[in-house]
Amino acid sequence: MDATQLLKGVLDVAVLAVVEDEDGYGYDVVRRLRAAGLEEVGDASVYGTLRRLYTAGALTSYVVPSEEGPHRKYYGINAQGRAMLDLQRKVWTEFSTTMNNLLTSSTQPGEAA
Amino acid sequence: MTTSTVTPEIVAFAQGVRAALADLPAEEVDDLTEGLEADLAEAYAEDLQRELPDPAAYATELRAAAGLPVRTKPKSGVLSSLTQGWHDTRADLKVAIRRNPALASVVDFLGELRPAWWIVRAWLAAWLVASFFGNERGYGMAGTWWFVFVAFAVISVQWGRGRWHGPAVPALIAVGNVIAVVAFLPVMAAADDPRSSAGDFDRGFASGVDATVSDTPAEGLSFNGHLVENIYAYDAQGKPLKNVQLFDVNGKPLVTNRGGDASPLTPSAARLETGSDAYNVYPLKVTEMMWDENGNYVPDPSPDPRKTRALENGPFLKVPAVDVPKKVAKSNE
Repeated sequence: MDATQLLKGVLDVAVLAVVEDEDGYGYDVVRRLRAAGLEEVGDASVYGTLRRLYTAGALTSYVVPSEEGPHRKYYGINAQGRAMLDLQRKVWTEFSTTMNNLLTSSTQPGEAA
Repeated sequence: MTTSTVTPEIVAFAQGVRAALADLPAEEVDDLTEGLEADLAEAYAEDLQRELPDPAAYATELRAAAGLPVRTKPKSGVLSSLTQGWHDTRADLKVAIRRNPALASVVDFLGELRPAWWIVRAWLAAWLVASFFGNERGYGMAGTWWFVFVAFAVISVQWGRGRWHGPAVPALIAVGNVIAVVAFLPVMAAADDPRSSAGDFDRGFASGVDATVSDTPAEGLSFNGHLVENIYAYDAQGKPLKNVQLFDVNGKPLVTNRGGDASPLTPSAARLETGSDAYNVYPLKVTEMMWDENGNYVPDPSPDPRKTRALENGPFLKVPAVDVPKKVAKSNE
């Protein structure tokens, strides 16, 4: 099984989680995700996810001009984003518990029906 | 936050990504790629070993993650596949241009001129509509039509800026642009023509009628280098004939020169039993013409009576009879 495939389904919640405490710009978010262990995450996927969460109303966005280079676009979580994150945390917890149980039990010889 | 240098490669790459997203509304592309250069610069400053990916693949990933539609796949039908082909070609072309810095700078320069084009196409559209109603005046339009132009200009600029984008608008703009480009030169030529005015239609109609009805070449019969004005026929006995119809071997009516203003005579047409006019019936009834003091070409109010008589009756009252062999003469009786 490919971890990048799994990642697609949970990238939203992962991105929400890393901007929960502190606003971040595109590459900053990528770096936080990689630092958290999601090494395979693609830049463009993260930027696109940020944009989609923003369009969905889960993130706020503001541009910080830079004197020396191109400006950066920061994203921050808002109330709707927090609600979404809470909900997805629950969904994930339940789902992962179920999957853990399933996978753990199915590895036990003789217990498979 | 790290400040990093944005290399030309990164600029080109970002432009390639934007080009690959070009089918999306301009606003969407801007929002999606704002800060892209800064992010890329930082990413590549951290890891110099990294290579820039393919901009098109990058754009596809960005698009998918943002939940935006993949570049529309061809639907069934000739028209939609043509449109799709055009979109694909255009997007591919954009990506190709972005890979060539010289071409890219030319295109960027032309891009700066787009607002001027928005105004020009609005003027073109207003001019075309005004001229349809006969209200164009040279490069301009009759009074109130300038308000139409202003309205068109507002629409054109808003479209150009990517505002007011309904579902059908991009296609409309494409069609409109094509019409505008095609119409540009003819309109410029027509607008530049000082004779161009509301009278165009009437003049065109009149010349069309002339061409159909009179079917007369500008050059008619000539004899020894002189244009023949009229023809006088005499019968075997030498008496003048009236209403003789002349044709050439191909059945074409033999007509004299009706050189218009250059000729001192204007022939009147004879009426055939079919109801149509004919100018090959001799001697022609002619009107003597002159230029009046206002420079108008008018019938001569007091023509020379001797010339009038000569024109009517021909150069001779009678000519010598033809010596016809008796046999033939008998059979004619």
